[in-house]
Amino acid sequence: MSNTTTKVPLERKVLSENDRLAAELRAEFARHGIRCLNLISSPGSGKTALLERTLGAFDPGVRVAVLTGDIQTDADARRLERYGFPVRQITTAGACHLDARMVTKALEGWDLAALDLLFIENVGNLVCPTSYDLGEVAKVVLLSVAEGEEKPLKYPGIFFKAKLMVLTKIDLLPYVPFRLDDAIANARSIQPDIEIMQVSNTTGEGLEKWMEWVRRGI
Amino acid sequence: MHELGIANSILEAVEAEMRPHPGARPLRIAVTVGALSGVDRDSLAFCFEAIVKGTPFAAMALDLKEAAADELELTCLELEEPTP
Repeated sequence: MSNTTTKVPLERKVLSENDRLAAELRAEFARHGIRCLNLISSPGSGKTALLERTLGAFDPGVRVAVLTGDIQTDADARRLERYGFPVRQITTAGACHLDARMVTKALEGWDLAALDLLFIENVGNLVCPTSYDLGEVAKVVLLSVAEGEEKPLKYPGIFFKAKLMVLTKIDLLPYVPFRLDDAIANARSIQPDIEIMQVSNTTGEGLEKWMEWVRRGI
Repeated sequence: MHELGIANSILEAVEAEMRPHPGARPLRIAVTVGALSGVDRDSLAFCFEAIVKGTPFAAMALDLKEAAADELELTCLELEEPTP
């Protein structure tokens, strides 16, 4: 018996299973009119602090919820629960990113019809979360001025996919060598259309603009 | 380091694509990895080698090709099939 070599042409995304689940989530969110935002940054860039500020600025009646991902501990969920909105912690036990399956599971038992806005705080990591669609309407990348202005060039994937870049900790600008104009130019060199905002979670500067962006479409 | 998860997804996809070809032996799987995909090719190759060790896929070549943007796709599966 002889053998023949067959070439099977494929056109299939490697993460097609994640993409399928994310598409289901996106359809669910659309059906319930939920605006879902996926927050991604390095550890310590201020994702949780920005969410604290955000939740603190909402009236109690606003239908907002948060899923927060970490490798270990529910410390972030405990920080965010104080504001009185539904919060769930996803502990990934080692995984460096959230995937659509984890989000689907974390949403079990939640009444999506009672929500207008859902924040997903991803695991602190600028690389891995980039590959995983969670059904969000937009990825938001945070970059603190305590990091480097070359980060968009070093981690182009997330700056390519994010709709908005939030430069955080701008109250530190007088004390750090961060070159703001370069950071913005670097991000735009990866993605000319990226929206850019500057905030300080400490002084509150820029938060009004952020809240306006967050509320868009709800 | 999510390349292990990506490697698993590739292997699962290959297994699914093999189902309509009973008796076939996988020779090569071609995957395009975009520069903006967030996936490191060396790390992916290393993880893939680790998970196929001792399986029927151990001899299959993982052919990682550079691609544009954030592409991460399986493009071709090469099989050796018994001639009927």
